[in-house]
Amino acid sequence: MAQAIINGILIGGLYAIIGVGMSIIFGIVKLTNLAHGEFVVLAAYFSLAISAATGLNPGLSLILVGPIMFFIGFAIQNLIVNRLMPRGAEAPLLVMFGMSIIIQNVILQVFSADPQHLTNPLDTSNFALGNAVVPTTFLIDCVIGVCVILALNVFMKHTYVGMAVRAVSDDTTAAKIMGINVNLIYGVAMGIAMVTSAVAGVLVGQTYNFYPTTGSQYLIISFGIVVIGGMGSIKGTLVAGLIFGLAQLLGGFLFGTTLQLLAGYIIILIMLAVKPQGLFAK
Amino acid sequence: MSKSSKIRVVVILAVVIALYVIPQSPLTTDNTMRIGLLIALYCTLGLMWNLMAGYTGMVSLGQQIFIGIAGYNVAVFATTFGLPFWAGMFCGAGISVLLSVALSFLLFRMKGMYFAIATWITSEALKIIFTSWEFVNMGGGMTIKLRPYPDVFELYYISLTLVIGAFLVVFFVLNSRIGLGLKAMRDDDDASAAMGVNIFRAKLLCFMISGFVTGLCGALFYINQGSIFPGPGFGISWTVAAVFIVIIGGIGTITGPIVGAIIYVFLSEFLSQYQGYSMIILGVIAIAVILGLPYGIVGTIERKFGFEVLSTRRTMKNLLSGGRANVDYSRGRDLRVSK
Repeated sequence: MAQAIINGILIGGLYAIIGVGMSIIFGIVKLTNLAHGEFVVLAAYFSLAISAATGLNPGLSLILVGPIMFFIGFAIQNLIVNRLMPRGAEAPLLVMFGMSIIIQNVILQVFSADPQHLTNPLDTSNFALGNAVVPTTFLIDCVIGVCVILALNVFMKHTYVGMAVRAVSDDTTAAKIMGINVNLIYGVAMGIAMVTSAVAGVLVGQTYNFYPTTGSQYLIISFGIVVIGGMGSIKGTLVAGLIFGLAQLLGGFLFGTTLQLLAGYIIILIMLAVKPQGLFAK
Repeated sequence: MSKSSKIRVVVILAVVIALYVIPQSPLTTDNTMRIGLLIALYCTLGLMWNLMAGYTGMVSLGQQIFIGIAGYNVAVFATTFGLPFWAGMFCGAGISVLLSVALSFLLFRMKGMYFAIATWITSEALKIIFTSWEFVNMGGGMTIKLRPYPDVFELYYISLTLVIGAFLVVFFVLNSRIGLGLKAMRDDDDASAAMGVNIFRAKLLCFMISGFVTGLCGALFYINQGSIFPGPGFGISWTVAAVFIVIIGGIGTITGPIVGAIIYVFLSEFLSQYQGYSMIILGVIAIAVILGLPYGIVGTIERKFGFEVLSTRRTMKNLLSGGRANVDYSRGRDLRVSK
């Protein structure tokens, strides 16, 4: 039990970083990014390729993966999504769906369907906490995830770009009148979200095996985070990650590991039925 | 009936008769039959997704719920109970309808993306349940054992009848008062509710029809395939196919899914030895179509030439003879009075 609770809390930090990108996009660009899970997996594959080519530690490969993902997000938003935004929510949603299928199959062609893993010197190390044995990787995931989210919070509150992003999300017309280039800000917001997916991808890659089709699993986790935490709320994603991680790990502890995912899905469905705007919606 | 609509009916009837007669010619092989069968089934799948997304604004990402349920029904009925395939097929479709009613209470509280993802999560949940359910052989899947096993010709004729039936159902639903209410609802939920459209009932009807027909479709897919596994059975690829077919053909058009299904089946057949490439190409085509041809291939042609093979538009004549509206809210964008 203690084991499940500690693991649940730590995994919650990982889930929060997986979901925060989707939450930003939901809240600011008002886009349902159905490719979010694929972007997380794509980042993991980038990291794999870079660390294989240069011998860098996967964590350090983020120096390259982060900017690459930022650029991809910025480009997709500016070249495709911004043009479709005036047509309502349906067209961008379907474009991102198409994008997710393309990315998934391109990864499949390039890297094959074999499971991959980002090797890390701490892979097998554990430490004891009371009578629970905790993998060090989980702790690293949680600490990095939470730190990145807190840094993002500071960025949004105290920098010019962050304030512009929040202004656009609160009132697009007013932001335009104040001279903010809304489309550019959407691009930047998408880029920032993609940097968080890059971090999430590397953390996921060093924690679990990944293969081209795992993206949908992370999309559903992200959606759970958004639904529980409330869209666009950065603080909400942390709490939601915690709830979701605990629900899954406790569900797995009580009903067996096969039903671990099911416990998470049921929490999302209940949440959707009872309070679809989330706990911390603005 | 005007002259042009007479010609139209004759042409449609001729095509339908040809589709029934051609297989009797000595030139048709099992393989052409199989392709015809797949086009008919994918077209049905697209039609049913279109009925929900194109006409009622419910973008479902969970059509595989009905495919998997019906596929498993056929497998259980045939293999476990030794019953004929149509028993499993109709029971599967029936359970799909019951499931759609049960889900509607949960799902219809949500709009747009919430609905989309909730349907997907439901199918993922079902996938896990079927993977750990001993009665259906857990993750090991089930083989469909039928004696005699229906051959590809028989399945083709059933599927052809199914797709024609699906067209008729969609056509009549959309031309009924409910259809008008549905389109009003898609364009503006609140306004149509204020005008007295019973949104819940109209949405439920569409969801039930979609569940029933998609269920029949799924049963036929799996009879054709011979075995079912929880992963692909409840996999998102079914919805991916439906979405691509409808987008390429034209969302919100009745005949769009035919064009989309033909392109889809041919691409996946030609590229079947390069697994994955057909999906990349289809994805690129779909995005290009959304960007360049927002009404899809059929929708764009219809708009350009002002011609519709099957129209769901209210005309003045309908109005005079008791129809209710002479205004067409085409996807809420251009508002024009019909001739």
